[in-house]
Amino acid sequence: MIIDRTQSPAYQAIQEIRLPTVQTQTLDNGMLLHSVAVQQQPILRLECIFDAGTWYETTSNTAFFAVKMLGEGTQGRTASQISEYIDRYGAFLELSSGPDRASLVVYCLTKFLPNVLPLIRELLTEPVFPEKELEDLRNITLQNLRVNYEKNAYLAGVLFREKLFGSDHPYGRSQRPELIEKLTRDEILGFYERVIQNRPFQVLVAGQVTENESILINRELGQLPVQGDTAVPAHTIRQEGDQQPVLFEKTASIQSSIRFGRRLFTRQHPDFFPMLVTNEVLGGYFGSRLMKNIREEKGFTYGISSNVVSFRRDGYFLIGTDVNRENTEQTLDEIRKEIRLLQTELVTSEELETVKNFMAGEFVGSLNTPFEIADRYKVILLDGLPADFLTTYIANLRMVTPEQILEAARQYLIDDSLQEVVVGGKVMLPDEINKVTKLFHK
Amino acid sequence: MIHYEHFVLDNGLRVYVHEDESTPIAAVNILYNVGSRDEDPNRTGFAHLFEHLMFGGSRHIPSYDEPLQKVGGENNAFTSPDITNYYITLPSANLETAFWLESDRMLSLSFDPQVLDVQQKVVIEEFKQRYLNQPYGDVWLKMRPLAYQEHPYRWATIGKDISHIENATLDDVKSFFFKYYLPNNAVLVVAGNVTVEQVKQLCQKWFAPIPSGEPYVRQLPQEPVQTEARKLETSANVPLNALYKAYHMPGRFDPDFQATDLLSDMLGRSKSSRLYQQLLRQNPLFNNISAYITSSADPGLLVIQGTLNEGVTLEEADAAVEAVVQDLIDNPVADDELAKVKNQAEATLAFSEVELLNRAMNLAFAANAGDPELVNQEADRIQSVTPADVQRMAQQVLRKDNCSTLYYRAA
Repeated sequence: MIIDRTQSPAYQAIQEIRLPTVQTQTLDNGMLLHSVAVQQQPILRLECIFDAGTWYETTSNTAFFAVKMLGEGTQGRTASQISEYIDRYGAFLELSSGPDRASLVVYCLTKFLPNVLPLIRELLTEPVFPEKELEDLRNITLQNLRVNYEKNAYLAGVLFREKLFGSDHPYGRSQRPELIEKLTRDEILGFYERVIQNRPFQVLVAGQVTENESILINRELGQLPVQGDTAVPAHTIRQEGDQQPVLFEKTASIQSSIRFGRRLFTRQHPDFFPMLVTNEVLGGYFGSRLMKNIREEKGFTYGISSNVVSFRRDGYFLIGTDVNRENTEQTLDEIRKEIRLLQTELVTSEELETVKNFMAGEFVGSLNTPFEIADRYKVILLDGLPADFLTTYIANLRMVTPEQILEAARQYLIDDSLQEVVVGGKVMLPDEINKVTKLFHK
Repeated sequence: MIHYEHFVLDNGLRVYVHEDESTPIAAVNILYNVGSRDEDPNRTGFAHLFEHLMFGGSRHIPSYDEPLQKVGGENNAFTSPDITNYYITLPSANLETAFWLESDRMLSLSFDPQVLDVQQKVVIEEFKQRYLNQPYGDVWLKMRPLAYQEHPYRWATIGKDISHIENATLDDVKSFFFKYYLPNNAVLVVAGNVTVEQVKQLCQKWFAPIPSGEPYVRQLPQEPVQTEARKLETSANVPLNALYKAYHMPGRFDPDFQATDLLSDMLGRSKSSRLYQQLLRQNPLFNNISAYITSSADPGLLVIQGTLNEGVTLEEADAAVEAVVQDLIDNPVADDELAKVKNQAEATLAFSEVELLNRAMNLAFAANAGDPELVNQEADRIQSVTPADVQRMAQQVLRKDNCSTLYYRAA
């Protein structure tokens, strides 16, 4: 049989998704347990989620330290005994804090859940915040930070968020060494007592879970005392001055990290989907216009991408790349050119079809494991999105028109509203040329 | 447990099918049996540069990515010292698109000089972004030639030097393609919401017409046993002193691999490990310390690495690490400690099989190594390791004269 290899096979556009449902039940103490049951592998992930992100801090860095310190000693166990216990059951513990929430996450074989649960309860209710372990954690955090400060991409992200939200705002501030150095145990303990201890939480479990696991979870986490609600503080966003470009010179850098973008909105905003598709066309996937232009035509970079980042109460739009230092200015010009094109010419129906099909396929592909499904459900369970947000996601993408994309680009990507941050440099310094040449041809 | 069926096409392409109807997607993983270890020492970085070129259009299809994106598919690839691996996930209804694209680029590339020109630049930016413009980014550019003197693992997959990438020609590209990118030098795994019958038909249609080529027989110089401790010092503009120690160990499919893997876990996998407890907690010389293995097909490395606290000398830290290591050589391992790292390994294995694509890749790696069943024997192999095995491997691997040490000083 001779086949015509120039002809692509017939295909179907994805219109809908199959999704395991999330089952929600109320534990004895009134807290909610959400379960995503997928019985394929003998494993599960259990997450206890608190309203205890940086949003709830009265002192910077307390959320991070309070949550990490939960694993560093309880009334009954030392830090070493805790890690020894977790490791003995092959479990993995993650103590993480974000801008909005903090969570204690454990991954384990389902058969070890009965062994792991009492420890989780202990970590949440009986932490003792020992001095020695606090100093260890402070030291580790400070040293990590010193290394991160040497990374252009890290520094560019810090400066960018500061410019967008203000360096005091929970969405704008990052870890700062001088503040970490003077953070006290009392401040950390205070954060724990105010927003974690005896405070409401939600449990999200995904993987091989049955009625039996729910009973076990209720027996431990359903018995934690819960009093009152966590008060939600208000924060004012203080954008720092105008959108003056930021250039952080690093003479030893052979590449520049570029961040370019603006504050945006939450997923509830009526323009969320049009903006999501606009972002995808511009820099959201490998075939995006920025990728084609800056990487595939010019070879300035290993990668360039744009993102719509959504928090509980705000969000931002961001273009990011690391480019050859001497091409920094030209890359910025090209980014602006691509944005202008989006503002002046309608996206063709062919390009838009590719983008929508890709987004739909990517969405389906991102619901492939119990953990990914649970993560997707979080926006409904925690950010107050409508219950059909996931099932209508593809339909909502499909409805976006070329006119809406043009409009979104005109409304949200106005040049004056976009903040530019460069870490590295815009020009090749004379002594740099020698250094680089030496590096390349030693 | 990953169940699968297997068949071979007349042109030598080995095909494995893992059916999983619980997912709406399909994964197509194609592994070519060529990595940076197969490169000419004067043209390193080539396998990886070549991987980039595989996305620059094939004989009948000018763009690889666009048609795939159009049917809702995603793809990527990676190159390791051992292999080059390409993978696609897409809605299973559009499976044939993956066959169309993958078979055409196995048939022949477009060999467009413009594509080579741009991808050379892209790879050079990748080199800078990952290896030169990152704190400690060049560690493996220095460690590999220290630990390996004969075996091609002595250069990094990105290449020894940017000039090697700059000097690549279109003729190099063509001869590389026709030497390695053959149906009889590849393993295809199709997984997910597919049937064996469907995959057979698609293979017949798209891959069977591709001619086979001269079989590639790998003949690499093997690394001689190291008999003398090696040491290198370097300095760079980094904030903290760092210590790296690499010991030769058995390859991924050697019977002693699992015992050595568990040995490295005891040393420095997690917070309860010996190095972390003794040298970060009890005697705080380090603010970060871990041990891991490179898991390569040919004999690999067990690596210990850490960053030092201020005021601690590299010599002092190195001596402390060696004392922890010596204890494992001298004294038997307790059953409890072994049971702990076995449980960790069992859980890691179970978690690695959650993702469909991972299952497809694990199957491809094992099949390429000569026996797909290895993928399902891993759990038993881990469980059968005894305390005596661990001590024997400690004595064999953790010898001082089997070690390469790098002192990375903050300038």
